[in-house]
Formats: sequence, C-alpha cells, structure tokens
Amino acid sequence: MQLAVNIVVLTAIYALIACGYVLIYRVSRVLNLAHGELLMLSAYLLLWTASLFAGHAIAAIAAALGLSLVVGAMVYLFLLRKLTGEMALAAVLTTVALGVLLRGVTVLLWSAQQQYPAVPLGLSNWAIALPGGARISLWAGLLVVTTLAVYASLFAFLRLGRWGMRMRAAGQNPLLAAQRGINLHAIYALAWSLSTLTGALAGVLIALDSGLGQTMAIIGLKAFPAALVGGLDSLAGALLGSAIVASAEVILIHHVDPLLSEVIPFLVLIVVLMLRPWGLLGTREELDRV
Amino acid sequence: MLLRLQGAAMAAVLLAAPAAAQDAYTIGLTGALTGPPASTYAPAADALRLYVERLNAAGGIAGKKINLILQDDAAEPGKATANAKKLLAQDNVLLLLNASLSSTFAPVVAEAKRAGVPVLFASSVCPKEVYPPADPLQFCSTAFASTYDSRATLAFIKETAKEPVKIGFSAMAIPLSRAEMDFAEQQAPGLGMTVVGKEVIPPPTPDYTPFATKLKDAGANWVFSWAPWVTQVRTLEALRRLDWKGDYVAWAHIEAEGELARLKDGAFYVVGANALFQDRLPIHQEIAEAAKTAKLTYPIEQLTEGWIAGMVVEAALKATGWPASPEKLAAAMSTLKVDTKGLRGGPIEWTKDNHFRTRQYYRVYRWDSGKGAIQRVKDWTAFDVQ
Amino acid sequence: MSRRPRASGYFRTDYAEDLSLLPTRLERSAVLGLLVVLLILPLVASPFLIDLAAQVFLAAIGALALMLLTGYAGQVSLGHAGLLAAGAFTVGILFKELKAPFFVTLPAAAAVGALLGVVFGLPSLRVRGLYLAVSTLALNFLVAYLGGEYEARRGFSTGIVVDPPSLAGKAVTDARAWYVILLLAAVATLFLCANLARARSGRAWAAIRANETVAQTLGIGVASYKLLAFVISSALTAVAGALFAYYRGFVSVEAFSLFLSIQYVAMIIIGGMGSLAGAILGALFVTLFPYAIEASLGALIGATAYAGLSFAVNAAAFGAVMILFLVLEPQGLIGLWRRLKTYFLLWPFRHRPVGGARR
Repeated sequence: MQLAVNIVVLTAIYALIACGYVLIYRVSRVLNLAHGELLMLSAYLLLWTASLFAGHAIAAIAAALGLSLVVGAMVYLFLLRKLTGEMALAAVLTTVALGVLLRGVTVLLWSAQQQYPAVPLGLSNWAIALPGGARISLWAGLLVVTTLAVYASLFAFLRLGRWGMRMRAAGQNPLLAAQRGINLHAIYALAWSLSTLTGALAGVLIALDSGLGQTMAIIGLKAFPAALVGGLDSLAGALLGSAIVASAEVILIHHVDPLLSEVIPFLVLIVVLMLRPWGLLGTREELDRV
Repeated sequence: MLLRLQGAAMAAVLLAAPAAAQDAYTIGLTGALTGPPASTYAPAADALRLYVERLNAAGGIAGKKINLILQDDAAEPGKATANAKKLLAQDNVLLLLNASLSSTFAPVVAEAKRAGVPVLFASSVCPKEVYPPADPLQFCSTAFASTYDSRATLAFIKETAKEPVKIGFSAMAIPLSRAEMDFAEQQAPGLGMTVVGKEVIPPPTPDYTPFATKLKDAGANWVFSWAPWVTQVRTLEALRRLDWKGDYVAWAHIEAEGELARLKDGAFYVVGANALFQDRLPIHQEIAEAAKTAKLTYPIEQLTEGWIAGMVVEAALKATGWPASPEKLAAAMSTLKVDTKGLRGGPIEWTKDNHFRTRQYYRVYRWDSGKGAIQRVKDWTAFDVQ
Repeated sequence: MSRRPRASGYFRTDYAEDLSLLPTRLERSAVLGLLVVLLILPLVASPFLIDLAAQVFLAAIGALALMLLTGYAGQVSLGHAGLLAAGAFTVGILFKELKAPFFVTLPAAAAVGALLGVVFGLPSLRVRGLYLAVSTLALNFLVAYLGGEYEARRGFSTGIVVDPPSLAGKAVTDARAWYVILLLAAVATLFLCANLARARSGRAWAAIRANETVAQTLGIGVASYKLLAFVISSALTAVAGALFAYYRGFVSVEAFSLFLSIQYVAMIIIGGMGSLAGAILGALFVTLFPYAIEASLGALIGATAYAGLSFAVNAAAFGAVMILFLVLEPQGLIGLWRRLKTYFLLWPFRHRPVGGARR
C-alpha cells in the first residue's frame, strides 16, 4: 500500500512538471529545456517572498506564483520572441542557455546551500495516515491534489475556454490561426506563463515538502522523459507517461536496485523513441522539423 | 585575427596572476569555492583566510607574513589541475592545500609530486595515502575519516541500543559514501547487529520516500547514514513522515549544528570529530569574534574545519623556520603536533608514517527536546589509527 | 565551394583548384604563419599558458567532431559528454584491468566510440531534430551511470589514475610534449574533417541537412550517411576522451556532466555552425571564457572576495553569451568574421552586386 502511495506521489510530481513541457510544445512546437531551472527559480522566489511576508504563508505563496507568471511571460517576450522564424533547434538551444544562465543567477542571489522555505513561513510538515497502514506527508498530499486540479482546469480551459481554443488553434496551424486574427505572440506568452506557473506550483510544493537546492533543476529534467513517453503535445499523455515512468522507478527501487532510479526515465525514453517516437498519445507529426 | 584573439586572452589571464612576495610564506589553495559542493568547502576556505589574515595582522610568524592564494576549481578536476599548475609553477607555493571533491585529488597530487611540494587536504576527505604507511607529501587535517567513522558509530550504536539492533544504511550514490556504507555493512554483523537494508540514493531525487519505505519495511530500528548532509537529513525526514520511530545516526557535517535546532528530533544523533559551538569553549569565542569583525557571511558553526586548517598551517610554518623550502616544510610536517585548543578531542599528531593523525576522537550529540538545546551524549572517545 | 567574396584576381580553372583547401597564396601564408607561431609558442610561454593551449587543442578535437555531426550533417547531439566519458573510461578500464599501452587503448576507445555512434545513430533513422537531441541526452546519463557503477564496484571511489603513455620508453609528462602531441592531433582531426567535408560524404550531408526527403529522392543513401556521420563523429570524440584521460592522468565520472555537453554545443554555436574554423574558434572561446571572467572579476572587485562568486558569474555569463549569439548572431564568430571581411571588401559599397559574376 505504501508502495502505491509512493507511486502516486512520484507520478504527481512528474505529471505536474511534465504538463509544463507539453503546454509550450503543443502551442509553439518549442522544447523548453529550461523548465527545470525555471521551476527552481520560482521556488527561490518563494524564499524571497517568504522573507517579505514572513508568517503569512498564503500571501507569500500567492506572490511567488504570481511572480512566476510574470517570469514566464517575460522569458517569451524578451527572449523567445526574438527567435521567431529561426529553426526550432535554435529555440531549444536558447532555452538550454537560459537554463545555464538561471543556475548561475540563482547561486549568485541565494548561494548554493540547501534552503528550507517552510521555516520562515512557519509551516510544518506532518504525515497523514491512510488506510492500509500507508502514510503520506502533508505537502505531498497537497501536491497530488494540486496536480489533479491543474490537469482538470487545463483540460477544461483548452477545451472550453476561448483563449484555450485559440491556443489549440495556434498549436495546430499557426499560419491559419494568425490569419484568423489570433494574436500569436499573446498566445505564446500565455502558454509560457501557464507553463511556468505549473512548474512553480511543483517547485514550491517540493521545496515546502523536502527543501530546495540546485538539484531541483535536474528533477525537472527527469520529468521530461515522462512528457515524451506520453507524447509531447498531449496532456493526457503527460499523465500517462508520468504514471509509467514513476511506476517503473518506484518498483525498480523497491525490488531491484535503487541506483537505477536515475537512469530509468531515460532508458524508458530511449525505448519509446525507438518504437513510437511520437509518444503513446501524441499526434503522429511530421518529424522532420530541425 | 586569431592570433590577436589569442594574445588578448592571454594578456587578460596573465593579469590575474599575482607575483609571489619575497618576504613571506606563500601557500596556495585550490577548492570548490563555488559550484554545487561549495556549501561544504567554501566556509572552510573562508575561515582559513580569516585565520591567516588575523595571524598576519598580529605580526605573522616571526615577523614573516603568510601569503595565501585562493583559487576556485568549482570541483572540476580540469580546473583543479590548472590551478595546481599555476600555484606551483607561477606562484612557487611552499604548500598546496586542497578543499575540493575527491575527483580533484589525483591530478593535483601528481602535479605537487612533480614539484616536490607537500599537499594538505583541509576539509576535503582524507585519501588513503595519508593513512599508514603514508605518502611523504600528502597530509590531511579533515575531521571525517573513512572506516574509522563507521567503527566509531557502530560502537556507539552497540553501547546505546537497548534492544537487539536491526540496522539499515543510507548512502548517496557517490563512490565515497557507497564505499563507507559497504564497509559498515561488513562490520555490523561482527558486533551482533543484523543488517536489514542499505539504500544508495542518487542525488537529484525529488522524493526520498521510496527509499525510506524500504528501510522501514525491512524493520530497521537503527539507521546509519554517512553521506553528504542533504542525503542524511532527507532520509531522516522521509523516515519520520512514515512514522518510523527508530534511532538515526549521521555524520556531523558543518551544517549539523544549525540543522539539529531545525529538526528538533530527539532520536537523531550526530557523530563528529569537531566540538560543536554550543560547547562554548574559549576558542569558539575567539572564532566568533573574528568572524564578526571580518563580517563573514557563513554561520560561525561552519568555520571550525577551516580554523583547524589555519592552526595546522601556522604550526607547520613555525616548525619550518626561515628561509623556508618545500622540502623543509614536508620534513617539519612529518613530525608535527598541533594543539587544537579543544576543537578536536586531542592534538593532531603526525608521524613519518601517519599523516592523518595518531588518534581520532569522536563525540556524539543530539537535540534535547526537554531543554531545547543540543546535548552531548558521549564525550571524546579515542581510536588509535594504525 | 567558397561563396565568399575575394579581393580580386582569383580564378579557378579546374575542379582540383575548386576543391583545394587553401586556394590563395594569402591563405596559404596565413596558415603557415599560424603554424610557425603555434610551434614557437611553447618555447616562450609560461607553463600555465602552455597548459591552456593544450586544453584548447583537446577541446577543438571534440568540437570538430561535433561540428561534423551537427553542423554538417545536421544531426543534433546533446550527448557529447557521454562519448568523451566512454573514451576516457575505455582507457581507464583497459589500463587498470589489463595494463594496456596507449597504442591498444586509443584504437579501442575509437572502436567503443564507433559502437556507441551506431547505437545512438539508430534513432536518427526514425526521428529527427528535437526528438533526436533528446535521445542523445539519455547517452549522458547512461554512460554516467555505467561509469559510476564501475568506479564503485571496483573500489576506485576517487577515480581511476592512469599512467602517462610512454613513447620510446619514456613517459610523456612534459607540458611541452603534450602541447605538441595535442597540436598534431588537432591538426590531424581538422584535416580529416576538412577532407570529409569536401568529399562525397560532405555533399551528401549537406543535402541531408537541407532537405532529407529530397536527398533521398536524389538517390543519396540517407540512412547510411547519417550513420556514417554518427560513427565518425563518435569515434573522434571517444579518441578525444581517451587523450583527455592520458593528459589529465585521471578518469572520474564527475568530469563528464551534462554541462560539458552543453559547452560543446556552445562551442559550435558560438563558433558558427557549418564551419570547421568556427569549431576551433568556438573551442578557443569557450575554453578561455572562464579564465577571462576570473581575470576581469579580479580586476574589478579584489582578489579574495571574488573567489566566491566566480562560478556563478561564470555560469550566468556563459548562458548570457550563448543567448546573445543565438539571438543576435546565429552564424557565430565565423559569421562575425565574415561580416567584417565583406564590409571591408565591398567598401564603399554595402552589398554584393545583384546576380553578379562574384557568385
């Protein structure tokens, strides 16, 4: 039972991070390899807002999430927008460079030490007992709930909301969408904001659960295979992919060798790429965009 | 154009090289002052710098100042080698200090050997070449010691446990931590303990719960972790969230003192070779004052290791006399005895064959929830180093 | 082959001249001059600078290999560090287990690299672009895992120490000797890559990069040329990794991180995609960059205080420079150089004549 709970928690972590990759890719066909660093930055921003709103946890978290929205939009407007028309590879490499830049900046501003945002906010982490003798920590439980809420609202937004429909249109055929009067730059900026927001949610919750350090960026990278396995342009696929990768990881840790947990997401990635490159639920796109 | 680029770059680089002062002892340090492991090594380097500055302000050693050159290698072996080459060839240092990850050791030592300059590992893990029979040019003042730490901890667990010990181990997926936990796993059965699990955890893990689950399910009532502080503490937190009621022992890294207060866990023991600041020895007062005047950014509890390095350097240079040379220094260091003024359980003694120390002392601390303070559970226990 | 404008009086009268590497007398004398300087350098420079130059040559070999794969054949690879690690570990393992000498380990490293090239080139037959880049990412982590396992299980927790290679019975440890060896290796690699680029393989790669479907229609064996690119590039990189192991005398898994892969990609971007000289310039830039940053920080703030900042500033500045090049000058340093040259060449005109004879 505890094993199942662990799988659910890890799935939620990967899924919440993966939907950020999917959002941007689906809308603008850009692979954002700086997602890990962006969510790490958001968690550090929580540290800053925590010192501003010491004791008022909700205000601090809300402020950090709001800041992340702004950061996402700014990354698009000031950086990626300049690469319009260049090959997609240039955009990917730019995000990689942005990731490197953000790592340096976070260390400059906050040092490389382990940080615990929960402390200035006066928040504690206790365990909730579940049926079957399993236990889950408060923040991990909140993370699972948040992931479900985020996915539900994203599904609703994309399917029913006006801007959601515009986003889907821009993702399917940017040229037609632009000629139909949809402001592509605004759509892309919105996609980046939402993606950074979901990443921030993940980063904040993980930081409150177990602490914040430079390794959080690599956790973001580990979630990437989950997005790829499900299909980079499918939200449902991200959920499914996360479930697969998380299950593989936890089961292998438990029964085989804990060290494999670092390599497993990427092994799964390679297998999927060989057999079904567009992922389990992704659209079979023309893969010759370089 | 290419040549001009090259020339300009070289000029820029040459500007960075300070010339060795004539009337001073020149020593150099290559360390992970920045980069991922910096939180362990940078405070030590800073404390050493503080010690040297104070010493120079008080007149130096017999009127000669110490010229300490700090170079950052960000824990990259390539940069460490370049630093070593520069310090040895350009700055002509008498002593090369290493405060970085073990992956930087081999190339740095190779360079130092070629130059005949002794290497002091200060705050970086002691390589096996400093244990008897010791390499003539390698010395170590760092607190933690592989295999001895495990021996001390297992001995402590054996005498503290009130029921048969079912022990689990937690390591980080780096070779050093794994090797130590493997050693402990071997030793435990000989002390009558049952080994129920050993978890090797990769560094970038978002959730430590699966690993903790294994340890808990295996029925461990004691868990020993010898790894970087992050792994140690997150395993503990994950175990506690699973409602595990056992006792946990970890190595007292420099973060330990601050973290004990944060965790407030009465069954969390830290084993260390350095006296914690809460013991309030006169030497701690000294360090605190010096740190305050110099406005150091690191918490004072993290400065012990670097301060001890400073003491060792001072004693070594004093014993060498003037004019100094690397050979005289190496000879002096081979028979050195440094009084740590209570920071360690006893003096650091080096002999020709033992460049680690003749006796390693350990203390055990834990958080006393009743008093709301750190309590010393076990006083200095000595282990002879063979 | 070369579409750059030239000053005057350059006329090609046969195909051999068209294909030649150094067509004009100016180019020939420039290269000769450069070689002379490079050979004199070790006699006058300090050991630190010689070491720096050796590092640049080593990086250049890897950068040239990556340029061949990504710049010419258009196959993105983010797993370069994994290949370097594979070469280095081959040397380390063969040395520790079998005491193999360097003329066994170097070809072995090349063979291992070629094998990995096949393994990681196979996805390139099914996927392209981003997906390919992602599959090569996995290479990093895989090799890191395997290397770490070897180190842990065989007890080399602080890494594997490798003895320097011995030529004619004497161990090569002198910095100058290494400088010459690495210079020769870099020149050999440059020559190999230049020849591959101007031969049939180079033209096939250019076609594949431009439009794969059309290339296939034209009868170019896309699959085999793609694999060829991967195999040659990986073998060269593995040899670079092996040289790295011998040069440092030391192999450990920490030296080959994802950041190293990113650095190599940065080298070819900053240098300029599609140009071998660009690969070398990029290698030079990226290798010297941290030292330049340190020097400037030192001049700005003050020797000891800056030490704590340098890594973070390095990373931040590196990312910023990469972004600047990608956004402002995607053609890299070579692009800048070409723009500069054409500016002076065409002055007082600004543009080349439309449809003129200079093409």
